[in-house]
Amino acid sequence: MSSNQWLATGNFFTAYKQEQRTFFTHLDRSVFSLFLALLLIWPMVFPLSNKYMLVIDSTLIAIVAVMGLNLVTGFAGLISIGHAAFVGVGAYTVAALCRVLGDSHGLVTHFWPIVILAGGLVGAVFGAVVGLPALRLKHLYLAIATLSFQMIFEWTINFMTFFNQGQTIFVGRVFWFTGKVMRREHYQFWYYVTLVVIILSGFGIRNLMKTRYGRCLIAVRDNDRAADAMGMHPGFTKVYAFALAGFMAGMAGALHAYLYRGVGFESFTLHHSISYLAMAIVGGLGTLNGSFWGPVAIQFLELQVEHFSGFAGEYLPSSMNLATALRPLTFGLVIVLFLMFEPRGIANWWRIVKSYTKKWPFRY
Amino acid sequence: MEIRNRAFQITAMLIMVALAFTCQVHAKEYKLGLSLAITGPTSDAGNPYAKGVEDYFNFANETKILGKDTIHCSIRDDQYKTSVTKRNFEEFLDDGIVLYLNYSTGSTLGLKKDFEEEEIAVIPASFHAGNLVDSNYIFLPIASYSEQVVSLAEYIAVHNKGDKAKVAMFIHPSAFGRGPVEDAEKSIAAGLNIEIVEVVEHGKDLDSTAMLKRLMSKGVQYVICHTVQSPVAAMIKDASRLGIVAESFGQEGKITFMGAHYTGGNDLIALAGKAAENFYWTTSYNITSEKNDGTEKQLALAKMYNRDDKAANSHNYANGIMVAQVATEVIRRVKEKGLKINRENLYKELNAMNGANAYTPYTTVGPVTYSATDRAGVDMLQIYSVKDGVFRKVGQPITSEFMKKIK
Repeated sequence: MSSNQWLATGNFFTAYKQEQRTFFTHLDRSVFSLFLALLLIWPMVFPLSNKYMLVIDSTLIAIVAVMGLNLVTGFAGLISIGHAAFVGVGAYTVAALCRVLGDSHGLVTHFWPIVILAGGLVGAVFGAVVGLPALRLKHLYLAIATLSFQMIFEWTINFMTFFNQGQTIFVGRVFWFTGKVMRREHYQFWYYVTLVVIILSGFGIRNLMKTRYGRCLIAVRDNDRAADAMGMHPGFTKVYAFALAGFMAGMAGALHAYLYRGVGFESFTLHHSISYLAMAIVGGLGTLNGSFWGPVAIQFLELQVEHFSGFAGEYLPSSMNLATALRPLTFGLVIVLFLMFEPRGIANWWRIVKSYTKKWPFRY
Repeated sequence: MEIRNRAFQITAMLIMVALAFTCQVHAKEYKLGLSLAITGPTSDAGNPYAKGVEDYFNFANETKILGKDTIHCSIRDDQYKTSVTKRNFEEFLDDGIVLYLNYSTGSTLGLKKDFEEEEIAVIPASFHAGNLVDSNYIFLPIASYSEQVVSLAEYIAVHNKGDKAKVAMFIHPSAFGRGPVEDAEKSIAAGLNIEIVEVVEHGKDLDSTAMLKRLMSKGVQYVICHTVQSPVAAMIKDASRLGIVAESFGQEGKITFMGAHYTGGNDLIALAGKAAENFYWTTSYNITSEKNDGTEKQLALAKMYNRDDKAANSHNYANGIMVAQVATEVIRRVKEKGLKINRENLYKELNAMNGANAYTPYTTVGPVTYSATDRAGVDMLQIYSVKDGVFRKVGQPITSEFMKKIK
């Protein structure tokens, strides 16, 4: 694997190709493999209740969505505040199939991997279309364009009879080689499916960043005029960044539809878009592992706020309704604190920890 | 002889100890779950509702309505989010609940398939008629929103002076709000003598002046509201400012405002103040401004558990008590029959709650009747209207004639 035994102590690359590797050392690969094995094994060794498996599955789905958002906002520098709408497009792709074919149709229940991919593809198409204004718009103006997509999405779903006016459209139980996936194994099953999607997408994004298309994203983010001067196509890059983000979000939406066995409008509101953005910021914009840290941290925070709200609600008069205000207050505060004191997000803490352990016992 | 006596005494003691132990072992705890919005949107209704459920179950346990057996109802806040409700429901299922109490229309519709799969009886706080479509396990506590709206429309048709009454509907922009519109239109098609001039889906507008003036220009005489209190309060305040609120039912040239369960109650009066005067409201619950045995018991229960006046006098507190009463009663009946308290038996017993077995809780204006084909509990509706700052009864409880025709 590693032809350079000194890599652990510094950067000793002698060829550009060496820098392209996914794992630089044997240790890196071993630790990652062990971590993956742990992720695959733990649900069988320490089975959690359905409630907590649902929380974990939701977090994993948020990771898929945030990976997409990180591509467009973190790597390509294009602000998107309509990401939940893209997630919704994926979910409503599944819902539309259920409306047309029936929620127990074989395509929905047996060919669900194809349906999930279809959700991603429809998300990508919508992403590309919404990305078109990025050819002309930047910064706040682009953010408003994505916000308008969020509004159009909400309005469409809320008023179209085909989409049940935003009320739940049911999705049937899927089949696996062992038969129908029933409630007992439902959450564990979707844990593994989502985990596989994350691993494949993670490797995909990591490799994308090593290609000219990935480097284009970063170049356009840093200075699109310079990128243009160097022969890149900023417009095309921006549109495909949106398409990629839409693809990831669409897959997340389809997974959400299958996990919850239904699609309802309330899971794809502006509030959720802001939550995804918060996850990306807290995790670390422009880093792959930030897409993992952010959703985990925000979900953890959400659960704690929920517990605290319940606790506070028992002691405070209901007229104060402070518990209701706690969630937005906490989230707003966390985002502001991160932007002020750690704009590189939790991913930077992870980088510091990694660097420290790598150099230990030396300080530098 | 002495040895035989001693042996007898020891045996008797052992039997007594065993009996005492058996009695203790036989005291069972039945688990129920309630997920609702204690914080977040609609928490103004969810909060007293949760208190009503909690207080009545505590009362039932303390007064030994089920003998030594007790009910343990876990109450979880879902912040009015279906995803959180689903999580709570999964937790309750893991805990082994035998009956589930739900809250919002969205989550009741969203979890409908889960209820069917789990074969568990569910009593929600939502009276949406759509809850009953393709569902066998959802039991509405009282008449559906559709029935409430159609009953108000029937009341208009009967009491309107002059030709066909011109009515507008003011609804919540969701399935909850839209649900009754279709049934109102069907009733008109079936012969109900009113005309729906316009259906207004309200947004988050703080001013309804333009909308009210438009309705006036169209000759609207009545507005039937089906939403929550705050948009109604905002609208009737504007109407009051414009001087278009009818001072008596159906006053010519003015508008009479009416509403279904979640539009009214003390919260509306608190929000709208004097503008709430002459607002007509329908629900199946007794309210504390019209004293009777039931409301006395409601207030006594609130006092017993140190609830403030606002909660004690809330119709949503009564709503919560009523749901807990039905749950307790059905468990009591199954127990009385010597059957095991499980989902299946509770479901069967709920379906048998009709005819001579109908249950009359003290919180409602009529009996709770369920059957395999009728899963709306209390069919009777009482119309109230605000007089001198409090809701007063208008006539006797009614039932909708046209809902029977269009079913």
